[in-house]
Amino acid sequence: MIKKVAVLGAATTKFGELWHTSPRMLIKESVGQALENSHLSPTDIDAIFVGNMLSGILGGQEHLGAFVSEELGLNIPAVKIEGACASGGLAVHTGVNSILSGNYQKVIVVGVEKMTDHKPEETTQALMGAGSDEERTAGATFPSLYALIARAHMKEYGTTEEQMAAVSVKNHYHASLNGKAQFTFPVTIEKVLNSPCIASPLKLLDCSPVSDGSAAVILSSDDFARKQKNIKPVWIAASQVATDSLGLSRRKTLTSLNSAVLASQKAYKKAGIKPLDIDVAEVHDCFTIAEIIAMEDLNFFKKGQAAEIIARGETTLGQGRLVVNTSGGLKASGHPVGATGVKQIVEIVNQLRNEGGKKQVKGAKIGLTHNVGGTGATAVIHILRSS
Amino acid sequence: MSISPVKVWRNQKKTNHILGKAGRILSYTLIYVPPLGFENEAPYPVVLVELEDAAKYTAQLVDYDEKNLQIGQKVIAVLRKTRNPGLEGIIPYGIKFKPI
Repeated sequence: MIKKVAVLGAATTKFGELWHTSPRMLIKESVGQALENSHLSPTDIDAIFVGNMLSGILGGQEHLGAFVSEELGLNIPAVKIEGACASGGLAVHTGVNSILSGNYQKVIVVGVEKMTDHKPEETTQALMGAGSDEERTAGATFPSLYALIARAHMKEYGTTEEQMAAVSVKNHYHASLNGKAQFTFPVTIEKVLNSPCIASPLKLLDCSPVSDGSAAVILSSDDFARKQKNIKPVWIAASQVATDSLGLSRRKTLTSLNSAVLASQKAYKKAGIKPLDIDVAEVHDCFTIAEIIAMEDLNFFKKGQAAEIIARGETTLGQGRLVVNTSGGLKASGHPVGATGVKQIVEIVNQLRNEGGKKQVKGAKIGLTHNVGGTGATAVIHILRSS
Repeated sequence: MSISPVKVWRNQKKTNHILGKAGRILSYTLIYVPPLGFENEAPYPVVLVELEDAAKYTAQLVDYDEKNLQIGQKVIAVLRKTRNPGLEGIIPYGIKFKPI
């Protein structure tokens, strides 16, 4: 019986406005590097799981499994997994389960998104595919839905626009140490506060960007991983998913994403750890308020206290016990939606292998990823360990 | 994407029971960057309202002053055109809120 799943290779492309690069080239690069890091060739692989949200509505391509398989010159099972901005995390979850089932020994999980080829209104509308009919009819956008959440959090806990801006400042600083990030320039609180309003109270620099990019991981059974002499596997200690209503109007509360609470509780239990055991986390900061709420939903900090703690720098590299979004997060590393959940795994794998470069968290042993679809209709939590 | 007359017909049945209900704004936002189909309307407010029967609904706020954009503001559900259908499409109507 397969007891554990290992991550062998892990890689991402550069994230950003990559007008010269096609989705095919992005996939080839991330998968190629992940295979190389695993000392495997495409023909060693049993199946492919592709995380993607918008290839159909924006790219007109609705047959993404075979698209990737063709690119690698393979004839193996290949499936696209969609769950809005959690597509990547769900693809990893599905890949993990496929190995636990005993059906496959080695699989590719690749997340990819190509968003910058299109007008902002088109991308904004396409992303609203993750919301409810009611929200689309209202002309709501994802920034506006998180703005409703932000306003409610401000009212209930006294969270301020300055505290939200501090999330952006921290993540831009981390991204400045990440060569693959979309934005490698620092920002200040003033710059965030003075950036143009997108959906009040959220401003441009509170929002993650529209991005192109791909990330890939190679997963294997524990048996196979242990036989690889020149690879240091990272272990998936938990892979858990929970869902909630598509729209905000059917939620009990606006200031917490119940799916993230449920999935993380299941994940901590499965991994046999407590939130305080986490050394490094990649969380879904699609908007600055989302990172604040993530800190509370993941039970890192008490409800209503995260904003102040983040603003004090306690989750910034070199300052805190728990460092959050070393990649720069979605905010500054970029958010190619289907790739994001896989990229989070790549970043944690690098951290746990002590290969984080300038953004390495010293002695990181246990990491967590928090990937959210829509305004919390899907949440995927992974816990990874170095041993 | 074009507006399907069948979807408009089917969805209108769901809006009847909300029309005329009063409620209070739970949260609000003013949208400056709109999606396709709403380009000519921005900036426009979207509000999440708790209705008198405790159900919640997300829709645009119309006929408002700046002072109405606050949590707790009383509103009522009205029927309004929700999107511009272009020259050939069917005109879709749906729920919006106005302050009372």
